[in-house]
Amino acid sequence: MTDVPLNLLRRHLLLGGAALALPTAAIAQSAPRAGTLKVAFLGLDTADPHRHTGSIAVQQVFVETLTSIADDGTVKPFLASSWEISPDGKRYTFTIREGVRFHNGRLLTAEDVRANAVRVRDQVRGGWLSTPMKLVEALEAPDARTFVMTMKEPYGPLLNLLSELWIVAPESEGWAQTIRQPIGTGPFRFGRWQPNVSFHAPAFAQYWQPGLPRAEAVEFSLRDDSDLSLALRAGDLHIARVGYDKLASVRADPALEVQFMKDTTWWFWSFNNRNPRAPFNDIRVRQAVAYMLDKPAFMRFVAGDAGVVTNQMAAPGQFFWDKAMHDADAHATPNEDRARALLREAGVNPASTPCRIVSWQSPYTEIAGQAMRKLGFQVEHLALDDIGAQRRLGQYDWDLAPFASGPRADIFLRFVRMMSDGPNPGLWGGTRDAEFDRLVDGAVAAVDLDERRRLYLAAWQRAMDKYYTVVIGHAPEPIVNRREVSGYSPGFTWGQHRVDGGLAFAALGARG
Amino acid sequence: MSLAMRAGLGLARQAMLLAGIAIAVFLLIRIVPGDVVDSMALEGSLDEEAIAQLRADLGLDAGTLTQFGIWAGRVLQGDFGNSLRFDMPVADLILAAVPTTIGLATLALAFGMALGIGLATAAVLWPRSVLPALVEALNLWSIALPTFCLGLGSILLFSVGLGWLPVIEQWLSPVAILGLDIAGQVAKPLHEDLKEAATAAHIRTARAKGLSPARIVLRHLLPNALTTVVALGGLILAGMIGGALTMEVLFGLPGLGTLAFQAVSGRDYPVIQAVVLVFAAGVVLVNWLADLAQRALDPRLRR
Repeated sequence: MTDVPLNLLRRHLLLGGAALALPTAAIAQSAPRAGTLKVAFLGLDTADPHRHTGSIAVQQVFVETLTSIADDGTVKPFLASSWEISPDGKRYTFTIREGVRFHNGRLLTAEDVRANAVRVRDQVRGGWLSTPMKLVEALEAPDARTFVMTMKEPYGPLLNLLSELWIVAPESEGWAQTIRQPIGTGPFRFGRWQPNVSFHAPAFAQYWQPGLPRAEAVEFSLRDDSDLSLALRAGDLHIARVGYDKLASVRADPALEVQFMKDTTWWFWSFNNRNPRAPFNDIRVRQAVAYMLDKPAFMRFVAGDAGVVTNQMAAPGQFFWDKAMHDADAHATPNEDRARALLREAGVNPASTPCRIVSWQSPYTEIAGQAMRKLGFQVEHLALDDIGAQRRLGQYDWDLAPFASGPRADIFLRFVRMMSDGPNPGLWGGTRDAEFDRLVDGAVAAVDLDERRRLYLAAWQRAMDKYYTVVIGHAPEPIVNRREVSGYSPGFTWGQHRVDGGLAFAALGARG
Repeated sequence: MSLAMRAGLGLARQAMLLAGIAIAVFLLIRIVPGDVVDSMALEGSLDEEAIAQLRADLGLDAGTLTQFGIWAGRVLQGDFGNSLRFDMPVADLILAAVPTTIGLATLALAFGMALGIGLATAAVLWPRSVLPALVEALNLWSIALPTFCLGLGSILLFSVGLGWLPVIEQWLSPVAILGLDIAGQVAKPLHEDLKEAATAAHIRTARAKGLSPARIVLRHLLPNALTTVVALGGLILAGMIGGALTMEVLFGLPGLGTLAFQAVSGRDYPVIQAVVLVFAAGVVLVNWLADLAQRALDPRLRR
């Protein structure tokens, strides 16, 4: 299990006021950049950074943001050198970093930042920034170095979410509609892009962090569904994501090194909460299902020794994780007798009860089917590809959904999926609970961090009490690099460029 | 009926076939659950309002017939539309992918045909050597070993094990694997044809006249067997679509097969429809040309 900090968010308000001491001093005197890093993460679906709905892993090397999620999950200044938040939590004043140049050589100004925020607010549909943008009262650039964002009400996750407000030069081709050739400020420029095949990003010589990037270029392989572990072992790739099932073969190869992302993926079983069918609308039946879950065995199966069991959407050690709640988990170990007793108490004869399971086509989803069959239910398991499952979940004609969800820039991005109007709610059974919404809204608006934590935990306690979803555990995603790569470490999220690490810091050659 | 008239009628039949394929693909891909907006929503940053608006923007909320009418109208004007996923012209994506697929198909076909014809011919020339057994073995290889298994084996052996070849974007293994597959399909029937033709009266006469075996095979046997090669070539090219697709995906080659595979995974309807149509047009064209060539080569078919 990764060492995730206890105080995930406590520090970010304190840090914000101070200028960032970027960890580049040692790099400034380092060797000239050399070599092309060949990497494979998730894809690039659009050249328009504001319109992306998928992974940020690729685009983050050519466009940057005001804030950055650091390795320890805290928010740190990036294109903003500092910020101040008004006491009522509504007014954010950012000081734009001096000396930052776009790839066309022009200096970044506060007006550029404002233009990007306006574009996202007015033109972009969906995306994690859509909710905070609806709450924006004013976007101002009173001078070349100051950008002010005024909200209608306090919005706690804003600084974290601004780590995905990409700053692009407004003169980029396609700005009025869809950007075709983005001009960013990142360490690498937008080069040749062949969808689903590759993306070549050459180094930007005038990058604002001295000594970076350390490589001449990055070549992303965007091919889906290929076994990246083989390409890593053959030396075709230097850095790539690799599934847990390939870890044994990767670890056996002395040329490869396994690292882990700092935030976690988490696994859970959700019930249909929007349109539950009998008897799965009976909380005793949901409890019975949860008692069939062998969480330790499940986590060993999906993630080996990297997994950890818990009952919360925050991983153990994180600020929004609660030990007392964890210790009180009634389903930490399975109890088949209790499960059968609960079914009898609820008057359910599983032999005559169908149970429809919807899932992706992952081996771990079979565990749900096996558990329900063991209880005696007539199981119909629909294992679909990602998109098919997405569509089927939205039909709410199922009973149980075993799924997993990946790292996020802020805990709110996990809670919001369980809110009544939250995005993509199917994985969590389409919960509609006004009290849950009220608690999460309260947490979002809370200026005090301890109060925010209390409200998030209260919301989660309610979700557990109602058995909307049963969390099984967490594990960090493995990232593998060849040993000739130096200076690289995975971050908190999938982003491959951040204030304290990523591809800009990676180089090919002997390690110092 | 004249050759030109036959050609015209054949072309009309193939055009109707293409139209049927276009309709079938259009309907079939919509049976698969989910669409490109579901794909965009997978990461979870689209709420229901945004999803509905995106579907409307992309024209996915219209009826199937309406969508087909719009698409067919555009295709008839030579416009395949834009990729729903990448918001770029489908024609650009196809043009970028075509050279890889044509290159792979041409190299594999050339290698396979040369090997298959050469081996079959040599096996007739030296019937008591190991060559006839080699023809049988190659045919068995082609029937029994799926190309994707050989591809995986090749990656494990030559790329990971020996380190001789890269995994991504290397041509040697896919060309060799597809070529051997083609050779196996060609060599056996051609060998049989040549053996049968060798018993014909005019071949006995040629032998009696003292012509060398090589001259008999090259001048009298092979030309007669060409119709078999042409007919097989048409079928093999059609069958290569599947083979090329797996090879392209396995070796990361950015061809039409990879494009089609990714488009199906992402429910990118315009790309799927266009790629299938291009593939179908290619197969139809090749079959039509093979048909014409056979008629031109074999006077019996013109009666």
